[in-house]
Amino acid sequence: MAIAKAERLMNLALCLMNTKRPLSKRELRESIEAYREAWQHGSEDAFNRMFERDKDDLRELGLVIDVDENTSDGEIGYLARADRNRLPEIALDAEEAAALSLAAKVWHQARLSGAASGALQKLRAAGVPFTEDGADGRTALEPRIPAREAAFEPLLLAARDRRPVSFEYRKSGSAAVEARSVEPWALECWRGHWYLAGWDRDRSAVRVFRLSRITGKVRSRSGAFAAPIPEHVDVRAYVATFAGEGATASATVRVRRGAGFPLRTKALATRQIDADWDELEIPYGHGLGADLAEFGPDLVVLAPDDLRADVIDRLRAVAGLAAQAPEGATR
Amino acid sequence: MSNAIDQTRRMLSLVTYLRERPGAEVAEVARAFGITERELIADLNVLPMCGTSFRGGDLLDIDTDGERIWWHNVDDVAQPLRLAADEATALLVAARAVAGLPGLRARDREALTRAVAKIENAAGESAEGSARVGVTFEAEGQVFADIDRALSEGRLIWLRYYSHGRGGMTEREVDPIRLVTEGHTYLEGWCRTSEDRRLFRLDRVAEVKLLDEPARPPRLEPRDLSQGLVNPGADDPEVVVEVGPAGRWVAEYYTHDLAEELPDGGLRITLRSSDPSGLRTLALRLGRDGRIVSPAPLAEEAREAALAALAGYQGGTAPR
Repeated sequence: MAIAKAERLMNLALCLMNTKRPLSKRELRESIEAYREAWQHGSEDAFNRMFERDKDDLRELGLVIDVDENTSDGEIGYLARADRNRLPEIALDAEEAAALSLAAKVWHQARLSGAASGALQKLRAAGVPFTEDGADGRTALEPRIPAREAAFEPLLLAARDRRPVSFEYRKSGSAAVEARSVEPWALECWRGHWYLAGWDRDRSAVRVFRLSRITGKVRSRSGAFAAPIPEHVDVRAYVATFAGEGATASATVRVRRGAGFPLRTKALATRQIDADWDELEIPYGHGLGADLAEFGPDLVVLAPDDLRADVIDRLRAVAGLAAQAPEGATR
Repeated sequence: MSNAIDQTRRMLSLVTYLRERPGAEVAEVARAFGITERELIADLNVLPMCGTSFRGGDLLDIDTDGERIWWHNVDDVAQPLRLAADEATALLVAARAVAGLPGLRARDREALTRAVAKIENAAGESAEGSARVGVTFEAEGQVFADIDRALSEGRLIWLRYYSHGRGGMTEREVDPIRLVTEGHTYLEGWCRTSEDRRLFRLDRVAEVKLLDEPARPPRLEPRDLSQGLVNPGADDPEVVVEVGPAGRWVAEYYTHDLAEELPDGGLRITLRSSDPSGLRTLALRLGRDGRIVSPAPLAEEAREAALAALAGYQGGTAPR
């Protein structure tokens, strides 16, 4: 039976950590049974590929592997120096440790939840006092970060390694799919949805993409991009604008008493008209027409005219009536 | 594949951990590492096949009788290892997100903030990538704090709650179960009024009161949230919606069974809802960008609501 991968990786890690001088591939092959098997029963190539993959995997786990000349035979050798791989002293008290272990549970994405528990295990092994109890007096909360979008993991890695990516993207409200080529800068999760900000190479401009609109595979290209990444990328502000926040204008609507709670919480002013109706002044941002149509007979738009016409048009569509010429034109 | 990676990562920490604890108990070590005893035993079966030194026979002499674990040739190699970039990102992004949650207890927020600073410091350059990932949790701070208190004191609560589907306010008595955050923050609770388990989005809570009566939620299986918080049941009625290209967002926001492409670039979306009349608001929002195909009474309800709304534009409420 083939030797399990975890055993092979563990052996490689231990060999590299325990040596004082760089070990050549040949030396490692002779001391690690799995490699000897791959080489004897497979081929030189099979062994080489396996070795390269394993080295990458260990680096993903945080091991710093230096490449240096092997003094005995002049070949390239590898070693993981103790001083470069040691976790610095970290003194977390029990309260900090407990808060951290709650936060570490938020990831509902295989790679990052594995990484988060791996980090806690390293800290625990280094003596951080995580206790099992101690839930008393803590916020009773279950925070979750989902990442169900297939594009999440490849983009996470590409942004980390500064690799340009290409993918097919369907813009909001469009059925057509376009090829995009992007230098990924930052990923942001807002209201449960993931967004990517980056430099769109074809458009020579900053663009924000919603991950759920990426169709098909994300391909990352070899070779890191060299263009600088801005210190601060405000993905959230960009997305919030499209969600109707950061409005500069205002609108006046009449809302039935007891209805329209979400509008009331963001109203700039509220005035009672009669026993049944209140008049609200609300921020007027992107997409407000659709938001207001939702309230149906509980709301009437008074101003501005373009918003009033937009809502009437939406309602006429739902009522099965033909579109109407703009209201102003008929008067 | 990723299992082998996680197992390797765990075994590396395990040797460091065991080094300091001769005769450690299996049950305790499994708990400390957040794994089952079976997984731990599997790790302990692999470790004696792993060697700490080059050229020959020097394998880890770790063994267990199923209750305790001994390592007979403890080695210097088992030093605490630095954090990998992904590990630092996973911890730091999560800790910053939770620390930024409005309504979190000050003590928790301060502890997290201190922990973040210490992790950043210990992770060194591994921490750099964490600035590339951000997560914002939203919650209404005061409502959150009130419900958090009700949970810790085990008290029944009274809510004035906005029902999005019906458009009106409702009053309910709820046995709180837990607060769940995924983008928005929700209270999961047993609603005594509807005698059912419900999720209440905190930004739709208009008022909350802690009652003197103790909370007594019935014993319930924790819900599986892996497919999202708002998950229709298998028996819920089916609703079919057809949208044009501009209404394709419906498929992104609503958990659905089926989304078929239409020739005009739109979609025919089949979804289930425990409360189909709540989808009336979806029809009103869609306007020209989509319509409810079935059930017919729901489509009719939306049409009547739109006609009633239009009446408001003809009568006494003329524009200024």
